[in-house]
Amino acid sequence: MASQPHSLSYVGCNFLRQRLVLSTLSGRPVKIRKIRAKEENPGLRDFEASFIRLIDKVTNGSRIEINQTGTTLYYQPGLLYGGVLEHDCSPHRSIGYYLESLLCLAPFMKHPLRIVLRGVTNDQVDPSVDVLKATALPLLKKFGIDGEGFELKITRRGMPPKGGGEVIFACPVRKVLRPIQSTDPGKIKRIRGTAYSVRVSPQIANRIVDSARSILNKFIPDIYIYTDHMKGTSSGKSPGFGLSLVAETTNGTFLGAELASNPQGQGTAVLPEELGLNCAKLLLEEIYRGGCVDSTNQSLVLLLMTLGQQDVSKVLLGPLSPYTIEFLRHLRSFFQIMFKIETKPSHEELQGGEKVLMTCVGIGFSNLSKTIK
Amino acid sequence: ASESESDRKGIQNAPEKNVDGVEWAESKAVEDEDGGGDVENLLKEEEEYGEENDFSADTAGALKWKEDLTQKAAEAFLRQQQSAPNLRKLVYGTVAEDADEEDDADEELGGLFHVSRPDKESKQKANALDCSKFPVETPQDWDLDEVMNSIRDCFVTGKWEA
Repeated sequence: MASQPHSLSYVGCNFLRQRLVLSTLSGRPVKIRKIRAKEENPGLRDFEASFIRLIDKVTNGSRIEINQTGTTLYYQPGLLYGGVLEHDCSPHRSIGYYLESLLCLAPFMKHPLRIVLRGVTNDQVDPSVDVLKATALPLLKKFGIDGEGFELKITRRGMPPKGGGEVIFACPVRKVLRPIQSTDPGKIKRIRGTAYSVRVSPQIANRIVDSARSILNKFIPDIYIYTDHMKGTSSGKSPGFGLSLVAETTNGTFLGAELASNPQGQGTAVLPEELGLNCAKLLLEEIYRGGCVDSTNQSLVLLLMTLGQQDVSKVLLGPLSPYTIEFLRHLRSFFQIMFKIETKPSHEELQGGEKVLMTCVGIGFSNLSKTIK
Repeated sequence: ASESESDRKGIQNAPEKNVDGVEWAESKAVEDEDGGGDVENLLKEEEEYGEENDFSADTAGALKWKEDLTQKAAEAFLRQQQSAPNLRKLVYGTVAEDADEEDDADEELGGLFHVSRPDKESKQKANALDCSKFPVETPQDWDLDEVMNSIRDCFVTGKWEA
């Protein structure tokens, strides 16, 4: 490159992923200072180091500099390369933490990405692989990212603290993204879910299903919750169980919710019935928030709208999460793009809370490194 | 006699309303830039208008409903403003990083010592957990009928508009 674009500077380790992702897509270097500078154990953590290694793997020619204490990170992005890869994720964060960023980057690789991720598939902190599979993948399809080589498969399930799960993610590449006009979420026609259990009694999954159904059946009869009990090597290294639920509407909107049991040796034991009930209530909360995209995928949809063709994209969201608000600010710094934000008060009663209509014109991002065949 | 009086009243009122209408449109246009200022203006107008109207408080009859139109509109506008905080301002207005820049500037004192102010709020935010999930802060009681009814029409089993 002839002239290096001016780098952006940030403070603190929060929002590390979105900064690195946006930096990679925009080509602007970033410098992050004072990463946990005042803590007893300063600097980057294992899981962040693992994330940076992953970014290094999927790109070609990135320059990463970290100072001795790990409190300062300089990242000069290379080109998104892709290909067939594998990565061992840190068990401190679930695979969802890594996958969320890969979902943002994968459509813009030079070669289609096919990656095996190993680690924790479900935990209490990040969106699990199950929920991302059920909500983020249909969202990418709306933007025209589709086809045979598009899959997310859980081959082994791993629970914290030790993990041992394995996931295969494959995504085709696209030159341009289709703009979307998604302002009517439609009505929920069915609820699907997965109750999983590993290294515990297989009966637990059934108990979760029964309690979750007891509350959801008051709203809609079409509910099916799969029980997924993995055995042997595909059950990972730690015991645990949990539930993920997804509500699908007539217009192809997917709203997700999930809960997982406490990791072995941490906190008190959770009753499967209680977990099922609470997870069903979380889904109802998500439905109350509403919109055409659920709260976890807000930033993904806004990113894809930004990178779309030079055309107007619209999406109706529930209340903006703090993560999304910061993401909007970052989109402005990296791509000089501002969204039109309109609040839509809930006119019709009985349709949940207030909604937000987001409108923008795409920057016409095109994947130049995609080879033409 | 009362009818003609109120007629005159209507004529008197008309230009006033017009002026208000123009200002209203203007304030709507600049709403994005300074929402706060308009609200103050409106409030001021509202007060003035109220005072002017006092003399006609005894006017009775069919046109009485017209009297406080601007005031009512202003009230409705204010209500809307309060219930829907300007999201654009919230997102793009004040950015947390500005605060960090500032405390960089006054960190050094005489080149040797630097003041260490524990700015808990922004520091915690800067080094907080990086997670995209949006946890529910105040969960509603989904066993109550009214809470359950609040999302009833989100389902195909609910009411469909024509």
